[in-house]
Amino acid sequence: MKDELTRREMLLGAGALLTVPSWPAWGSAAVTAPTAKVTVGRCMTYGPELVPTLAKMFDQLGGLDRMVKGKTVAIKINMIGVRSQRLGTAPMEETFWTHPKVIGAVVHLMGVAGARRIRVVEGPWSSCETLEEVMLSMNWKPQDILSAAKNVEFENTDHLGRGKTYSRLMVPGGGLIFPGYDLNHSYADCDVFVSLAKLKEHAATGITLSMKNVYGSTPTTIYGQGAGVDEPSLRPHGGRGNTFHSATRPPSKSAPQQIDMTLPNNAGYRLPRIIAELCSARPVHLAIIDGVKSATGAETNYGSRPQAAVNPGVLIAGTNCVATDAVAMTVMGFDPMADKGAAPFASADNMLHIGETLGIGQRDLSRNEVLGVPVSQVVFSYSAVRDKILAAAAKKA
Amino acid sequence: MALNAESNPMRWPAGPLDIALQEKTKGFTADKAAVLRNWLDPATLGILQGTPVNTLVVSWASGLAADSEQQQALTPLIEKARESGVGLVGVIEGEANTSAAIATARSAGLIAVAMEGEAPADAGIPAIQRNADARIRWGGKSPVLSLSNGIWPGIPQDVNQAGGPTNLPWVDSNGASLRIARALAPEKDMWIEFNPPQQATAQTAEAYMLAVADPASYGARWVVSLDDGLRADLTAKKQPAMDTWKKVNGMMAFFKEHNQSKNYEPMGRLALVSNFAGEDWDRGEETLNLLPRLREPARVIARSRAASASFEGLEAIYYTDQEPPDAALRAKLLAFARGGGILFVPSKWPNPEGAPTAAEAYLLFTLHALGKGRLAVCKEEQPDPYDLTADLQTMMSHKYDPIRLYNSSSMNFFYETSAQGKQGVIHLLNYSRRPASDGPLFYMKEPHRTARLVSPELASPTELQWNPQEAGGSELSLPKISVYGAVELAS
Repeated sequence: MKDELTRREMLLGAGALLTVPSWPAWGSAAVTAPTAKVTVGRCMTYGPELVPTLAKMFDQLGGLDRMVKGKTVAIKINMIGVRSQRLGTAPMEETFWTHPKVIGAVVHLMGVAGARRIRVVEGPWSSCETLEEVMLSMNWKPQDILSAAKNVEFENTDHLGRGKTYSRLMVPGGGLIFPGYDLNHSYADCDVFVSLAKLKEHAATGITLSMKNVYGSTPTTIYGQGAGVDEPSLRPHGGRGNTFHSATRPPSKSAPQQIDMTLPNNAGYRLPRIIAELCSARPVHLAIIDGVKSATGAETNYGSRPQAAVNPGVLIAGTNCVATDAVAMTVMGFDPMADKGAAPFASADNMLHIGETLGIGQRDLSRNEVLGVPVSQVVFSYSAVRDKILAAAAKKA
Repeated sequence: MALNAESNPMRWPAGPLDIALQEKTKGFTADKAAVLRNWLDPATLGILQGTPVNTLVVSWASGLAADSEQQQALTPLIEKARESGVGLVGVIEGEANTSAAIATARSAGLIAVAMEGEAPADAGIPAIQRNADARIRWGGKSPVLSLSNGIWPGIPQDVNQAGGPTNLPWVDSNGASLRIARALAPEKDMWIEFNPPQQATAQTAEAYMLAVADPASYGARWVVSLDDGLRADLTAKKQPAMDTWKKVNGMMAFFKEHNQSKNYEPMGRLALVSNFAGEDWDRGEETLNLLPRLREPARVIARSRAASASFEGLEAIYYTDQEPPDAALRAKLLAFARGGGILFVPSKWPNPEGAPTAAEAYLLFTLHALGKGRLAVCKEEQPDPYDLTADLQTMMSHKYDPIRLYNSSSMNFFYETSAQGKQGVIHLLNYSRRPASDGPLFYMKEPHRTARLVSPELASPTELQWNPQEAGGSELSLPKISVYGAVELAS
């Protein structure tokens, strides 16, 4: 297996191939990637301050009405992992999942801004259940979200759902791992796509923010462990690890197949590229990150990692997922310009870097317009929390 | 010590018949033969002193030449045991002459025999029916039924086994078969037999504690069976064998003390109705294995008792048998659906009642509107058991979940309540036999006034605090549990 830049990546790297055929050459793509507005809001609770804070942030981005009036909006929320595994007693929405009050607030503001239809979408882990059912199983009140605006609906996108067929979204330029993806119709049947993520680290990719959130759009009926061999299965079975992390099984034959089977088969190489190409195939118009409450250490409770439920008290939103994630990383105390080997990218390539190379957006904060509360005032170091846990454990031992 | 509901059995391999039965098996050694001879020595009964064990199950007759030698050799042990208040049960199996073996057992002073099928009417000694679960005659005369095909509880070594695509691992538990047994023969005392798996290293104390707790939680008694190494070390009074034995007995004593739930009824909003005969046993057992992994408590109703059973409090009934019910039961089940419940039936249900109604394509059931409720007919004759069980839960909706369990992927729980629901107990079993990173967390839709955790792992009961939830219901946070704990609830 080769584990260096492929020819395809070189070509996608804005013509740097002939001059500097090495990893840093990717930076040249940033010149062509669009700049964006990103805003930061201070919000310590999910109480009454939530809606006005978000409203002000959306105004700073140019106004939601300009973006969603008369449009169909798809909001991809984050409800990752095994829902019965919490972090201590903290409910999932205060650690790993997008909080229902943030979802409700965004839906409400979309409605006020004149959205014609709002579809809240997610592929909850390997389940046919409707999103309402998943929410009910966590003692949420889905009706609060459904009634936050007119024409709100949910769709579980881990399978075909209400569509008649899957929608094929191709990666502009041909892709790095896959040339395109077959997704639930909701990702194609929308005018505006919103990634509503959580401010989290990730065991394999270092971070999981608005870009990584889009990874969950891939249906496990096609990309899951128990997906159909020739055609998508009717029901989701198992996770995506075999297809996406390790390439030990292909997607259903009906879907676009991996470009080159000699590509490295480690998650640190594959996932950042798959995430970036998904964000290229299904562009994010509005990225929103819930950092009011969250968890450090990983995207879900691993049990064996130093993790803690935390209250960063911050919301981040932007018109570009790479730029928004770059600001979010800075808020978390990380450097968005870091590459593999530097925190938080211990064993994975920087997905923002790859996104930049694909022309999605820019990770250099100085090239974007960062509004709202100064980032320096809301930095909440995830590494410091981890160090504190480890120090306490060492002291106890 | 007569055979009765207080009998706490232990398998006691000893003597020439056990040597004859084992000597041709792989791994049998001179050391093992020596232990089998040693355990004939009445002095070995000393390990029972101060323990709940009061019944020894010995090999009596197998149709081998060693039978009569065995019966002779056991005489001192029988006499010493009787003096100590311990009774012996003789196992009759294989090609043994049943009548002759029963006669010698009676004259030797055994308190009972254990054998496949029913004993002759003139046996003159209590006979325990000892069979694989699906082959037991539930309505027989035997006061004790011994399920001979129990499984060593735990998480299977094969890591690829999964309980379904929920990421919760499969667990080996005797809960499903014992729940069926309890439904089919509620008046009988249940024993269950299983041996420690053969492995290079000795089983841990926690593994033995789980072996006691798993059947006991479901109202049955494990016929205690120790591995060769542990028995040898106990005879020699070695550690850690003595400590393991103490913990095993501690678990048995715990269940003897906390037996208030013996008159409780399993709680659940779903009931399985079946005669559990033949293939219907397998179908029902698999569903009852899977429901705890989906955290869906359920009741079990024997088909023969369904006509008189109360369906109060149920939201759904799954009639699992391939053979349709008789007219009276069918009418009762349909009335339940018309009243607002969901009646799940197999594909062979003839002429489904009600008007067909829309259902999600992925569901394994077609739906028929029936009064205020629904009739759900399975589309497939041999559906995937996990998908089917998941659909049962999905169609009932989580909105009405009475109880949920978090942070306990290797645990099962079993919830029982008193007749009026004022008292209850939640048995919590950890099949990994080691605490998880976070303590278990229960959600209850209708919390009781008080809750306390009792466990042989705790020096004293721990009062638990309810944490009311904004959306309704309340949560209980428990300390970490290695093997077993019970939440005792009271209004």
